Amino acid sequence: MASSGSGQQLPPYKPYRHVKALRGHESAVSCVKFSNDGTLLASASLDKTIILWSSSTLALIRRLVGHSEGISDLSWSSDSHYICSASDDRTLRIWDARSSTGECVKTLRGHNNLVFCVNFNPQSNLIVSGSFDETIRIWEVKTGKCLHVIKAHSLPVTSVSFNRDGSLIVSGSHDGSCKIWDAAKGTCLKTLIDDKVPAVSFAKFSPNGKFILIATLDNTLKLCNYSTGKFLKIYTGHVNKVYCITSTFSVTNGKYIVSGSEDHCVYLWDLQQKTMIQKFEGHTDTVISVTCHPKENMIASAALQNDKTVRIWSQDSPNAAPK
Amino acid sequence: MNASIIDPLQGDFPEVIEEYLEHGVMKCIAFNRRGTLLAAGCSDGNCIIWDFETRGIAKELRDKDCVAAITSVCWSKYGHRVLVSAADKSLTLWDVVSGEKITRTILQQTPLQARLHPGSSTPSLCLACPLSSAPMIVDLNTGGATMLPVSIPDSNPGLAPPSRNKISDGTPPFSPTAACFNKCGDLVYAGNSKGEILLIDYKSVQVLAMVPTSGGSVIKNIVFSRNGQYLLTNSNDRTIRIYENLLPLKDGLKALNGLNETLNSLDDVEKLKIVGSKCLTLFREFQDTITKMHWKAPCFSGDGEWVIGGSASKGEHKIYIWDRAGHLVKILEGPKEALIDLVWHPVHPIVVSVSLTGLVYIWAKDYTENWSAFAPDFKELEENEEYIEREDEFDLIPETEKAKESNVNEDDEVDIVTVDKDSAFSDSDMSQEELCFLPAIPSPDAPEQQDKCLESSSKLVESNNSGSPLSEEGRPNGRAMNHASSPLEEDPGATRVKRKRKPSEKWLDLQL
Repeated sequence: MASSGSGQQLPPYKPYRHVKALRGHESAVSCVKFSNDGTLLASASLDKTIILWSSSTLALIRRLVGHSEGISDLSWSSDSHYICSASDDRTLRIWDARSSTGECVKTLRGHNNLVFCVNFNPQSNLIVSGSFDETIRIWEVKTGKCLHVIKAHSLPVTSVSFNRDGSLIVSGSHDGSCKIWDAAKGTCLKTLIDDKVPAVSFAKFSPNGKFILIATLDNTLKLCNYSTGKFLKIYTGHVNKVYCITSTFSVTNGKYIVSGSEDHCVYLWDLQQKTMIQKFEGHTDTVISVTCHPKENMIASAALQNDKTVRIWSQDSPNAAPK
Repeated sequence: MNASIIDPLQGDFPEVIEEYLEHGVMKCIAFNRRGTLLAAGCSDGNCIIWDFETRGIAKELRDKDCVAAITSVCWSKYGHRVLVSAADKSLTLWDVVSGEKITRTILQQTPLQARLHPGSSTPSLCLACPLSSAPMIVDLNTGGATMLPVSIPDSNPGLAPPSRNKISDGTPPFSPTAACFNKCGDLVYAGNSKGEILLIDYKSVQVLAMVPTSGGSVIKNIVFSRNGQYLLTNSNDRTIRIYENLLPLKDGLKALNGLNETLNSLDDVEKLKIVGSKCLTLFREFQDTITKMHWKAPCFSGDGEWVIGGSASKGEHKIYIWDRAGHLVKILEGPKEALIDLVWHPVHPIVVSVSLTGLVYIWAKDYTENWSAFAPDFKELEENEEYIEREDEFDLIPETEKAKESNVNEDDEVDIVTVDKDSAFSDSDMSQEELCFLPAIPSPDAPEQQDKCLESSSKLVESNNSGSPLSEEGRPNGRAMNHASSPLEEDPGATRVKRKRKPSEKWLDLQL
């Protein structure tokens, strides 16, 4: 376990320990996300439901039912009040996370094929969604109207997200390209990769909006400075050839990149040194999604069909709980 | 923001109407500091706050006591408050987030313009310019109004002493005088009917300096640029004059007092003129020598580089754009409706104008496809470059693996957390929380639509691309026309009045 040596005296790396396996979904879990205030954890599944868990007690709070097909992605609004989910039934649904009945507030219709990825903008007045119909749509939260339809790619769109001030959208697609769009006008500002292979499975801005983390289906994660277009860091060691596995930045206790993998583990790399620091074992199927708690040193991961659980890992918990 | 990848070759001023906003009959508009929200005052006494990013309504400030037309709107510095002046002589201060009225003050006369003190986040003072008397400082908490002197004391011996109570004591009526605060709010700059710019210390109610304009004609508008370095006056002689502010941006009052003291020996009027010449110098004059038109609502661009003025001629909607050096760069022409108000976005090259019919037009740059955006190694060149091919360029050589050269040191430290300070907002006081946007609360779908999940595709026979046509009909507010469903069909060149809703071919193809 190497500690990130950058000339400063950092405390030695404390390994994450498995805390609990949350069971509740009846099929593969596709996405898991902590809310921005850290109190709730939402998980979406191919069993057509979303489960809300408390991140402190890890108990199941509520199940959000309404989609008629499996759900591929979900996103929290910045005030942690609303969740938007993207489903194979071609719609997006906005749920009120606080309501006790767990009902769907709004349904956004317009995509012609299954909706694969979704994200709120930081101001949470817009939602961007990417679909198998190769378009990206920008929706207004208040009225549910589609403001822009962008013919973005030539194959399914695998990932869309906003940058820190909501002015840019980054999108990745199976057609191998990663593009940056102007959120206000829907115009293309830059193309970062344009090779036909490998497919880009995930793309996300860094917390300060200067860098983009891109995952490609050749077992690679890259960190890129989007304004210069140069690739600065490459992270390897995991397996990612088939699924659109999400990865994320961990900044609560040192800077790391966290990602799921098709070999059933969660990988954690040191951001600067690019070395693999820890491999979390425990899942019994591909780990498709990981999320970091905004304030505590806690990571949640979700896995596919053979596993169906959401697992919680923490640096601070005293003992490892039984799996 | 994303300044680094936006093409700098395109000029920084708007060119075409991008969209229009419609809700009731709007009369006056104002952006908040960051340009994320646009407040619009209507003829029915309501004030609408538009979310400029989604071009939808974020909030409506309604007061049942006020049904008269709004004459001006003004934001407080960090966007928490909005001051609205109306034709029923009232000034209403609103809290934006809650949508609640804070205070309502009735004046002696209808204020044509009211400006909140720009220095604080919860201002209690405002500058009101009434229809036919001198501008006054109104304390919104007490309701007390202090009239400001608009003539040099010597030249008008009949000037009554300024009163601190609401009751006017028979001061002779003046023609409307324009006035504004300077950037930090310690001085008021007023332009009077003799064409003189007066610098007034409103706390001591004294004129500290005077700058005469050539020709001496009535000044109709006076406004500062956002950075406080330039001042603009619009006079009855159809000329817009730009002055450079020589006083320091902070503590301008102190510097002015200092100047006054050094010239104590001279007589009053002369002293005021000399001090005035040290505060402002004439930089440029703009006029249209051919049509000699009167200007309406002139103002600066957000960065002070451009000046715009609307034509005051009836029946035409023309906006002239000059650069600060004085060259006319563009004339924007809109539909044949008179222009009544005009603002430039604080940050983006966007101009918003209000027409007499109550529509708000948003002017933006004409979008031209940036071809270098479509491939990572495309680069846009300013002009054609001669390409000299290598000797062996077209030789058939067995393909050697081109090593992907990364001339970036992969061991360099990458900082993913620190945020760059936005240079456009240099005096952001980080301790003050700024209101940049109002929370968007999704309005619930009507119950019967929620059950229609997969049936949706066959039902969308209507020719539009937006989310839920069923819910559109169910909500009969005037907003249905605000949004274009799909700007893919936009034709940037034409002056659009309404966007056409056309289905995309792909949508029709995939109709199941």
